[in-house]
Amino acid sequence: MTLPLLLLLLVILALGSFLAGRARALMVAGGDARRLHSLPAHHGLNLMLAFALPSAVALAGWLLARPAAAPGPAAMLAIPAIGLAAAASLWLTMRPESRARNEVEAAAKGFLILCSVIAIATTVGIVLSLLFETAGFFRQYPAAKFFFGTVWRPDFRGDSDLGFLPLLWGTIYVSAIALAVAVPVGLFAAVYMSEYASPRFRTFAKPAIEMLAGIPTIVYGLFALITVGPLLRDWIASPLGLGTSGASVATAGLVMGVMTIPFVSSLSDDIINAVPQSLRDGSLGLGATKSETIRQVVLPAALPGIVGAVLLAASRAIGETMIVVLGAGAAAKLSLNPFEAMTTVTVKIVSQLTGDTDFSAPETLVAFALGLTLFALTLGLNILALIIVRKYREQYE
Amino acid sequence: MTPAAPASSLLVPDARTQARNRAEARFRLYGLAAVSAAILMLAVLMGSILSNGLSAFRQSYITIPVTLDAATLDKAGTRDPSGLRQVSATAYGKLIARNLQAALAAKGIATDGLKPKDIAALLSEDAGARLRNMVLADPGLIGRTIDADLLASGRVDGFLKGRVTEESAAKDSKIKPAQLTLVSAMKGAGMIGLRLNPAFLTAPDASEKRPEAAGLGVAIIGSAYMMIVVLALSLPIGVAAAVYLEEFAPRNRFTDLIEVNISNLAAVPSIVFGILGLAAFINFAHLPRSAPLVGGLVLTLMTLPRIIIPARAALKAVPPSIRDAALGIGASRMQTVLHHVLPLAAPGILTGMIIGLAQALGETAPLLLIGMVAFVRDYPGLPPAGLADPATALPVQIYNWTQRADPAFVERASGAIIVLLVFLMLMNGAAILLRRRFERRW
Amino acid sequence: MNDLRLTERDLDNRTARMTARKVQVHYGQNHALKDVDVDILDKTVTAFIGPSGCGKSTFLRCLNRMNDTIAACRVEGQITLEGEDIYDRRVDPVQLRAKVGMVFQKPNPFPKSIYDNVAYGPRIHGLARNRAELDEVVEKSLRRAALWAEVKDRLHAPGTGLSGGQQQRLCIARAVATEPEVLLMDEPCSALDPIATAQVEELIDELRENFSVVIVTHSMQQAARVSQKTAFFHMGHLVEHGDTAQIFTNPRDPRTESYITGRIG
Repeated sequence: MTLPLLLLLLVILALGSFLAGRARALMVAGGDARRLHSLPAHHGLNLMLAFALPSAVALAGWLLARPAAAPGPAAMLAIPAIGLAAAASLWLTMRPESRARNEVEAAAKGFLILCSVIAIATTVGIVLSLLFETAGFFRQYPAAKFFFGTVWRPDFRGDSDLGFLPLLWGTIYVSAIALAVAVPVGLFAAVYMSEYASPRFRTFAKPAIEMLAGIPTIVYGLFALITVGPLLRDWIASPLGLGTSGASVATAGLVMGVMTIPFVSSLSDDIINAVPQSLRDGSLGLGATKSETIRQVVLPAALPGIVGAVLLAASRAIGETMIVVLGAGAAAKLSLNPFEAMTTVTVKIVSQLTGDTDFSAPETLVAFALGLTLFALTLGLNILALIIVRKYREQYE
Repeated sequence: MTPAAPASSLLVPDARTQARNRAEARFRLYGLAAVSAAILMLAVLMGSILSNGLSAFRQSYITIPVTLDAATLDKAGTRDPSGLRQVSATAYGKLIARNLQAALAAKGIATDGLKPKDIAALLSEDAGARLRNMVLADPGLIGRTIDADLLASGRVDGFLKGRVTEESAAKDSKIKPAQLTLVSAMKGAGMIGLRLNPAFLTAPDASEKRPEAAGLGVAIIGSAYMMIVVLALSLPIGVAAAVYLEEFAPRNRFTDLIEVNISNLAAVPSIVFGILGLAAFINFAHLPRSAPLVGGLVLTLMTLPRIIIPARAALKAVPPSIRDAALGIGASRMQTVLHHVLPLAAPGILTGMIIGLAQALGETAPLLLIGMVAFVRDYPGLPPAGLADPATALPVQIYNWTQRADPAFVERASGAIIVLLVFLMLMNGAAILLRRRFERRW
Repeated sequence: MNDLRLTERDLDNRTARMTARKVQVHYGQNHALKDVDVDILDKTVTAFIGPSGCGKSTFLRCLNRMNDTIAACRVEGQITLEGEDIYDRRVDPVQLRAKVGMVFQKPNPFPKSIYDNVAYGPRIHGLARNRAELDEVVEKSLRRAALWAEVKDRLHAPGTGLSGGQQQRLCIARAVATEPEVLLMDEPCSALDPIATAQVEELIDELRENFSVVIVTHSMQQAARVSQKTAFFHMGHLVEHGDTAQIFTNPRDPRTESYITGRIG
């Protein structure tokens, strides 16, 4: 007896109980559906649920208890028998005034709640899996040495230096360059789009900018690797004697900045549009030029929202992986030279967890500590940004 | 000359106003420059990918008559399939190498200074294997002479596409300038040329040494399987969660907690989902590594919040009067939602779903952590069992190729990106069409 | 009654600050204003009255070219300020609006301090050479707007924290700070309660000493209380224009009579 066969049997029995429930409802109503509280189909569904839920629970319990074995004949009969018993008791007690619809709808609502709770379960799963493995890491490697170490030199033969600071520095450096590109460009683009651009220009330019957000990050990564990296190296870094590496903080930062432009611009666009027109009229009516109105009235009024948008963009940049994997390099360094290859938290998570890994070695487990730090960092930024943006929205509602 | 107007005349702008207007013009210019810069970057990005990748869809083939000598390929002479399988791809390779030399001699092309080994090296190591597959599929070919299109090696392909030159060959251990001279002569004789290469879309990945044979077949199937998993899980779960939160949930702390969770999950870096997948699905639940099933599960968790948010917006856009109307004639809340609200919100929900799927299709980082980066040459089986077979995915295949030393893989990676972008454009185009077609203004 | 007659006699000597001749306004296909001729006299309050959508606000916004910010709007005819055509190509609307200030229907203080709200105009137009002068302008403007006593101890508190009536007087202070020649008010009391309305009406009467004021209002009582000249608009036409007392007591056009007796509107 195989599992697929058992599943097939259960599906057939479930369909059968639907038909049986519908027929039984008409029977107890004496063939007149109007005498029923609920539609015959509801009674059918109710009977089907009465069969399916206990069977599913029994099946799941049995699979968890003996995951490897195929169901024997005993289980083959026991699992549907449990369901059939439950269905039969409902069949016998069914009466015209039975509230089948309410019961079916309660079950459906239970399913809806279950689906909503998956969001919480995911968060709990993330936190638990990170915490669990991170605790394992800190049992083998002192936390102080991790958080304040300035050398990153993993060695799978043991005796590694796993200092977090060079990775944090690389992450912050790349993100800072990205924001230095994305914030002015994105903000000016948003201002131009919402205050100056003609509707025709907007219909063409807005989707073009938003397209930048729809491009997968691996594409940006390849762009950094084959185009931007060599370009920066051959035209800026080499002539100035600043480095000979195509992968560099500047390469990754620049490309990541391009990727982040649409986040800044579309969020800022929303926020600028939320500033009431009456403020613009007030300023224009006093004889201010458009740019004076924007700089002195609209932007200050929108400032909290824009700060929120920048924080969201920063969190995005910190968590970005593929661009830095392909564009920033793998060498953990504490350096100020933007044309040198450096590395980030996300790059090291990838490099420590890909390939054949030994989940008892600190060199592998450190990735979970890095992941936890990354999670905490981005979560903090996101919550801060959401609070700021929400406060701002309330101001104009 | 007109008399000087008084200082306060409106018709003569004063110095301060002129300066302010210049500042206005400058400011406007900055804005235009920012928009142009963003669009320019998009153009450069696309141009770079297209110029590097379009050539991946064409491949160099050497066309020569090949005599499928029965004495070599079927010693027993029985055409018995199991006997034919005994003959290795290497034997086929030697056979076509001999045929190539003969073809060159027949055309009178000089091969001075080149050893037979060098001439054979013009062909891909995969050429023999492909010919073998052809013969195994149709044993009747044995003993005949056919005009065969044989895959040329990566360097020869690069030479025809302008990537490899005489100068680069002088420094290259894998090709000699003399071989390139021979290729030029063969090109003159019409024995070698570029043609469309459907194998790029259908063939599996190939090893480091034969970029010319590498294809996206396994990656496309793997990505498709993952999308099936994501669609099958996230559509019902996402819609159910959105319906609950929008239509049924009471305003209380528990609901708030769910909402905060969803908006935060939407902003959690994708690599964190990869760590979750590794810890929960592989290390804890012992699901197989490199399987589209696990990839799909991870992408589902990542995509769910990004589907729930637009789905809720679509439900919210259905005016309350519709609900009142249905409740007013005695429908239950569940019936109201199923019969009236959901159908009206469906286009909006589907649009969000497609955009969420497109994001999932392009996601790379979490898949690296669950082993999708492995070298896979075998096509996965049919679903549902095939969902657990090892496979790779489009974006991961691109990453994989960028990590290889041979520059021919850069062309492959860029070509794969074009394929990925075409899929994304089709999906987003479908979403836009859906929105245009069914958008309703209340 | 006596001083009303005095004002009337006084009016005849006043010169016209702004004149409008044959003004037409189109919003896309819609012909919103037809052949409007009005004079705005010096040191006088002129009220524009009429039913909703009659074009009175549109005309008001023509007087300082606020309609320029609406792309579909087209203005024809001639409007002059001090004899200069304000729709001349050489005129910069920015400079014009410094001379023809505007107060809006809803109080719209900037999200800045009370001081910065009032100082905004003088700053952008460069009217004060130093901080002391700016302080002086701010104080003078707030006094003219009858707000000084209420806010002098909290000049650096946000302007949005004031009550509705105070906010509207702050907006008036902001508008008079640039020393405009004409002050346009678009239903300035419609968002205010009766007490605040009375304060602002009193203020408008005082402002007449220094500026010519144009006020758009829905309330005929308000027009009668604060204005010396009244213009009645109906369906995009200027129906009647004359002394307030005459319009309200002895209208020449039957449409005006219907409106002020409450039969249309």
